[in-house]
Amino acid sequence: MEGLAMLRQLIGQLQELLELYGSHPSSLVLPSPSLSPLPHPLHLLQPLPPPPPPPPPLLSQFHSHHQRQQQQRQHHSWCVLNVDDGSADDYYSLIMAAGKSGNFKMLEPCKPPHAKKPRKERTRGKLSGTTNTAEIMEQQIWKDFPEDLFEAVIARLPIATFFRFRSVCRKWNSLLDSQSFSQHCAQVPQGNPWFYTITHENVNSGAIYDPSSKKWHHPTISSLPNKMIVLPVASAGGLVCFLDIGHRNFYVCNPLTQSFKELPARSVKVWSRVAVGMTLNGNSTCGGYKILWVGCDGEFEVYDSLKNSWTRPGHMPSSIKLPLSLNFRSQAVSIDGTLYFMRSDPEGIVSYDMVNGVWKQYIIPAPLHLTDHTLAECGGRIMLVGLLTKNAATCVCIWELQKMTLLWKEVDRMPNIWCLEFYGKHVRMTCLGNRGLLMLSLRSRQMNRLVTYDVSNREWLKVPGCVVPRGRKRQWIACGTAFHPCLTAIA
Amino acid sequence: MALELKSSDNKIFEVEELVAVQSETIKSLVEDGCADNVIPLPNVDSKTLELVLDWCKNHVDMKLDEEKLKEYEDKFIEVDQAVLYDLLLAANYLNIKDLLNRACQKVADMLKGKTPEQIRETLNIVNDFSPEEEEEIRKENLWAFEE
Repeated sequence: MEGLAMLRQLIGQLQELLELYGSHPSSLVLPSPSLSPLPHPLHLLQPLPPPPPPPPPLLSQFHSHHQRQQQQRQHHSWCVLNVDDGSADDYYSLIMAAGKSGNFKMLEPCKPPHAKKPRKERTRGKLSGTTNTAEIMEQQIWKDFPEDLFEAVIARLPIATFFRFRSVCRKWNSLLDSQSFSQHCAQVPQGNPWFYTITHENVNSGAIYDPSSKKWHHPTISSLPNKMIVLPVASAGGLVCFLDIGHRNFYVCNPLTQSFKELPARSVKVWSRVAVGMTLNGNSTCGGYKILWVGCDGEFEVYDSLKNSWTRPGHMPSSIKLPLSLNFRSQAVSIDGTLYFMRSDPEGIVSYDMVNGVWKQYIIPAPLHLTDHTLAECGGRIMLVGLLTKNAATCVCIWELQKMTLLWKEVDRMPNIWCLEFYGKHVRMTCLGNRGLLMLSLRSRQMNRLVTYDVSNREWLKVPGCVVPRGRKRQWIACGTAFHPCLTAIA
Repeated sequence: MALELKSSDNKIFEVEELVAVQSETIKSLVEDGCADNVIPLPNVDSKTLELVLDWCKNHVDMKLDEEKLKEYEDKFIEVDQAVLYDLLLAANYLNIKDLLNRACQKVADMLKGKTPEQIRETLNIVNDFSPEEEEEIRKENLWAFEE
């Protein structure tokens, strides 16, 4: 029955949000109506004033009916909704009534920070970005610098500097549309990836971290829909693929420029949770890209940017056990045109060769006491990042897949001193990025620690807190993805 | 096989072919069979040509030692602005890709700390935006200005 399907879908979405934002158990339950008749269904769904950080901004707090009677309880518990109870209709009408009443506080689109020009910008030569004060370039020498070499130089500027210099003249402002500039950019060796993150406080705009300069940036991508929540799920070639929280629509965009595309609708009727992977056809987005989604029922589709359409290239082979319990918190990993997804039951990895359209399965036992694990890769090696919790001690561990034996071998751990911070605490971890350089967001009730890990040189670095411009409060990093900052990637 | 190159100030440099063909320009001349005589390079003076040839020679010698080569390149490019400018133009004219890239990177490093106004002054660029247009563009790209 359609109502039940919609309800299940809503529960799924809420569960997902809880996983994303809460350190609380992710099941939603409402007390069964037989326990105590409620005068008004809306008493269950009452917004509470936001608690001290972190405030979950998306959902009103649900108080279970019993706990309402115990006013002493300070912390927030979640009502649990049990759809299989049979009285689905009751719950359905509860939620629907809540939605109509407006008591159920949905996320409102947030405005980008007020764009007021800071004072110091108006003073020439005192720009805070001027770190290179020592080098005075003599105009006598450089005034005849040939114009055809400008592009080669500009392509080698730091990304933020490029955007600052767009106001130099019209030509410099229109370089993003220039084919020759694109070619120059393609020749510059790729550095570290950047991280596009979604914060607890503002899910409608991303906060971008540049690990090379250790700076946070807050561009507004005006083209992303701001009346719904979209989350980054994959990236390739400087483009980030977003999926809205209802799993309906895909969007692709370059977070640095305004290049943006909404993908055509998929041919499915039920919007169940999917895992997503993205690959480039060639070396850059000029050659096109492909996006794959796969669901627990073994259904999958591939989007081809050159044709701008979805296709169903076949069926999952019977050797792959269904339902496919995909690890949705893990990003897919892409190596040489093949995507790798984590699965459980049985534990292991399923891979899809995007070029030849072949699915394979690898049974790989997971390390014990492992939680919040995700896949990553470095130089063709498949890695696993996760939390190991044993006797109240939690540590971040890194494993590498031994291809010969199909076993995970531990290769690194977060420095002990940093792990001590989490001793005795319930910790959740999200891994942003899945190649080379990873950002880990570690969250316990009171704190959010950010760390980057460089897989190739095993370097752990702390990440400065994310603060919006003219703000003071540190933002909590919920999720996100790494992407290669590429000025000329076109969606 | 040795080639002879003549700088703008009429100085002759004798160079191994393997070294000289790092320049795509010279390479084309060799392939077209025009390199039997002295090759005139009217756009490069002897001081600059000497440096360029040193770069090319080291790139042949150190081809397999990436670390050593990088060390050499970093040291090589630490030159006066006037010399850097001449190197850039020479690398462009002679079409020596890695030298051109390295020199462009050095110039980019020198420019990155400047304000747009300073860029215009240094590179003699006319501001063809109206004040309103310029303000609009700064606003669009405000995130890059924020610390």
